[in-house]
Amino acid sequence: MVGIFDVAFPIVSLIAFSLLTIPVLRGIRKTGYKTALTLVWFAIAFSVAFAAVANLALQYYALPSPQPFLSISLSDSSLSWLSSVFMIDGISVYMAIMFTTVCAVVMIYSLFYVDPSKRPSERYYAIMLMLTAAVIGAVFSGDLLTLFIFWEAAAAGSSFLMLYKKNRSSLNATLKYIVMIVIASAFIVFGLSLVYGITGTLNFWAVKEALTVLADKTLLILAFIFIAAGYAIEAAIVPFHFWLPDAYGAAPSSTAAFLSAVIDQGSYYVLIRVLIFILVPTAVLDWTLMLAVMAAFTMIVGNLFALIQKNVKILIGYICVADVGYNLVAITSLTSDGLRANLYFFLIGGITTALAFMAVGIINHYGFKTLKDFSGIGRKMPLASLALLMAALSFAGMPPFGGFIAKYMVFTSAIEANLAWLAVIGVLMSVVQVAYLFRLVNYMYGKKPKDEVRIKEPIKLLIPVFILAGTIIILGLFPQIVLNLIEPVIRQLPFIP
Amino acid sequence: MSYLLLSVLLLPVLSIPFVYLAGRKSAKSAALLLSLVALVTLALVLTTVPTILNSPSNRYVETYPWIPVLNSNFTLFVDGIGLSMVIITMVLMIAAALYSINYMAGKKNLPVYYTLLSLLFVGLIGVFISSNLLFFYFCWELMLVPAFFLVGGWGYKESYKASFKFFVFTHAGAVFVLLGIGAIYMLTGSIDLFTAEKLLLTQNPDIVRWILIALTGGFAVKMAIFPVHMWLPDTYAEAPAPMSALISGVLTSAGAYAIIRVSMETVFPAVAATSFGIDFLHGLAVFGVISAFFGSFVALAQNDIKRIIAYSSISHMGYILFGVSLFPLQTAMTGTVLHIVTHGLSKGLFFLTAGAIMSVFAIRDIRKMGGLAGKMPITGTASAIAALSLGGAPPFACFISEFFIFMGAFQMIPIDSFYIVPTALMLIATVLSLAYSLRFVSKVFLGPSNIKEIGEGEKKKFEVPRFMQLAMIILVILVVLIGIYPSFFINLINTATATFL
Repeated sequence: MVGIFDVAFPIVSLIAFSLLTIPVLRGIRKTGYKTALTLVWFAIAFSVAFAAVANLALQYYALPSPQPFLSISLSDSSLSWLSSVFMIDGISVYMAIMFTTVCAVVMIYSLFYVDPSKRPSERYYAIMLMLTAAVIGAVFSGDLLTLFIFWEAAAAGSSFLMLYKKNRSSLNATLKYIVMIVIASAFIVFGLSLVYGITGTLNFWAVKEALTVLADKTLLILAFIFIAAGYAIEAAIVPFHFWLPDAYGAAPSSTAAFLSAVIDQGSYYVLIRVLIFILVPTAVLDWTLMLAVMAAFTMIVGNLFALIQKNVKILIGYICVADVGYNLVAITSLTSDGLRANLYFFLIGGITTALAFMAVGIINHYGFKTLKDFSGIGRKMPLASLALLMAALSFAGMPPFGGFIAKYMVFTSAIEANLAWLAVIGVLMSVVQVAYLFRLVNYMYGKKPKDEVRIKEPIKLLIPVFILAGTIIILGLFPQIVLNLIEPVIRQLPFIP
Repeated sequence: MSYLLLSVLLLPVLSIPFVYLAGRKSAKSAALLLSLVALVTLALVLTTVPTILNSPSNRYVETYPWIPVLNSNFTLFVDGIGLSMVIITMVLMIAAALYSINYMAGKKNLPVYYTLLSLLFVGLIGVFISSNLLFFYFCWELMLVPAFFLVGGWGYKESYKASFKFFVFTHAGAVFVLLGIGAIYMLTGSIDLFTAEKLLLTQNPDIVRWILIALTGGFAVKMAIFPVHMWLPDTYAEAPAPMSALISGVLTSAGAYAIIRVSMETVFPAVAATSFGIDFLHGLAVFGVISAFFGSFVALAQNDIKRIIAYSSISHMGYILFGVSLFPLQTAMTGTVLHIVTHGLSKGLFFLTAGAIMSVFAIRDIRKMGGLAGKMPITGTASAIAALSLGGAPPFACFISEFFIFMGAFQMIPIDSFYIVPTALMLIATVLSLAYSLRFVSKVFLGPSNIKEIGEGEKKKFEVPRFMQLAMIILVILVVLIGIYPSFFINLINTATATFL
């Protein structure tokens, strides 16, 4: 039987490790083996977290009759529907596994990117661990309030990671980000209060039940608009996207990688969880068309703005926006294929953007920032360029990279849901994507660099980069590794007959 | 179950690191290794010939599990058409690799060059032997990336610009192919070519026709049919000669192959009975005629040695599309597939000879050439044979295939009187292609020389090095051989075209 302890353990252990990180790293700094000991410390932290998540997953799947949604309440009294609740289902288990793994890789990169021997670096790592804990907490939340608390902790907390460089542009971007997050939170809280007023509870199951029998839907629509707008801001759906490229572009690359792979995908997860599973199933309110239109705009705006970018990091920020659009396409179809495509795209999109940010981070480090600076970088820094090329090919949907299978699944699910127009827009935007990505590749390999000096690339930073690059190739060739993990989720979908 | 086709696919894959390592030692050994691999796979794949000729299904099939969730098996097969394509791929790959030994000598990064060439080889084989549409697409895109870098990295001045155009155009076509494949999967639940063919027959033709349009449009970009041909002249002109030969000989052929295999054989039967089906075929004929005329006319007006051949490629793709528009007729279809083979070999040869001239004299304007026949006897003969073959003169290869296409067209006219005008126009187009071929030969090889290296009474020969000669001779032999004795390919292709409709 899965108990409260099993759910809380990964979250609590990560928080504990996070709190211990600052004193431990300060202690390590006094010894001689700085890097090695720091690596060991984080290896311990992540193995404990991973073991905890794996334990939870095994216990969940070992249940004699797997329930679609397993609810674990903090209090066993008759008022349990008022208390804080954890929920475990296939999706949350899958997401938790993915987040833990990706966080671990990003952490290795940050260890070498943010110099651990410098003073405030231990806080950076501590916050990263704390954010991982918060995201995993959000994934397992079973009521709207718990979800809100964990999620806002993750979203707002990531501003500290952006601020690490403390220069003008990063301050600017962080400010923009915080303002957006605060506005988003206000929207969400207002929407949640309306929901609480309508139904008298915030528990997922109770809310859903109450809403299905609801007669007058005016207030619900209002609540829906506020909540959807709030989460749309956080997920950077057009027209609420403009903070994302700035923020990601100004943040240190390790932060950008973390944000794109974890916070961005997480915010999107929260959006679909709240809108589709719990709050407003289509039986209550038909919002498919609205989401389809938003998906189309997100793809169009993301890709077209990327087309005119000169700064490579901001360009990748716009790809993140476009990726959200592709995700929305998949989920709008509301079918098992759509959900499968979505969960797969989550992972591939996250890994690929993280890979791109990491590779660009290495290149940026030597002062190459704009497309022009990238001229001939393929000859000066062959390994980092190779990683960026792989990311670009995966974004473009070229086999044998994961992005290809992901896009294929997204488009087929749109066609299946009779949204062929959306698939066609997606395909056309994919062409635009190839145009700007290959303009980048063209600069990297086709143009002559200013000087032919070969730069010695930091091998330590390249290790995590190539772990991710290898992952997208393996997932592109053998997608069933992940698809098998997703498969149980599909069968327990509430909206599949 | 034997693993024959799997090893045909895996052998080149596994050889990639060895090609790279051999290239680190000497570029020549990498090229020889690559051509050896191509030769071995050619021998392996030729062992399927008895099965294809004698088995009742006329196919050689192997199936392995791949992505069970997407209901997708990994099925490899060859039939008469696929085998013909694989054969020209291997032959041109051998020729290109051998040719590169001398042609690329002294260039930078040669290990990477041969590695990319092997990768391109894998993609091409995969396209021709896969019956799983997803894997087909997989290889379709796989060959695009190495082609991009091969054209860009080792070409002439504006090569990256050209290859960028090439990439964006063909990828734009490819995503529509992906859309079509996705739609087939959604309608039928299968992405196997032959299963989907049967299942599509029961679907609503009004939906299937959009799939047909998306797929054919996507493939036509790769084929460089008239309105979507813009990438081709630049790419061919700027690419290194072995790549021009491979793209014109095999990559565009892959587009033609895909139209026959996927659009016509798999999807078209579902709409064949409707009025749209007839209109579609007429449309193909019209675009074929336009491409044939456009290509020939522009080729006549060009002075750049490679651009003439490039536009001639557009023209010949028009012939092929016209042949495809005679779809149900066996004669025409056999002729079309044979034309893909003969055009691939002749065009590959033509580009290799052009590259040979450019590598010796570093000029590309045919008005500045002339009188090369005596100075470069082997290149000159090879070039003349290629030009005459493309011009449709007997006894060279393209004559036979064009003859079959026109036989088919004449059979079609009594059935559908629409074809009178296109057939007449196509006959005129063949005259034009002979015209630009002869113009090419006379300007480059005959008459007095305008090249300053060749002074009055100069006795010196300017022939290219051995391996380049060898590559050209291999293709010359095949072009002449098919022209005289086409029965091997005709029998092979007939077994496959007999099962259409």
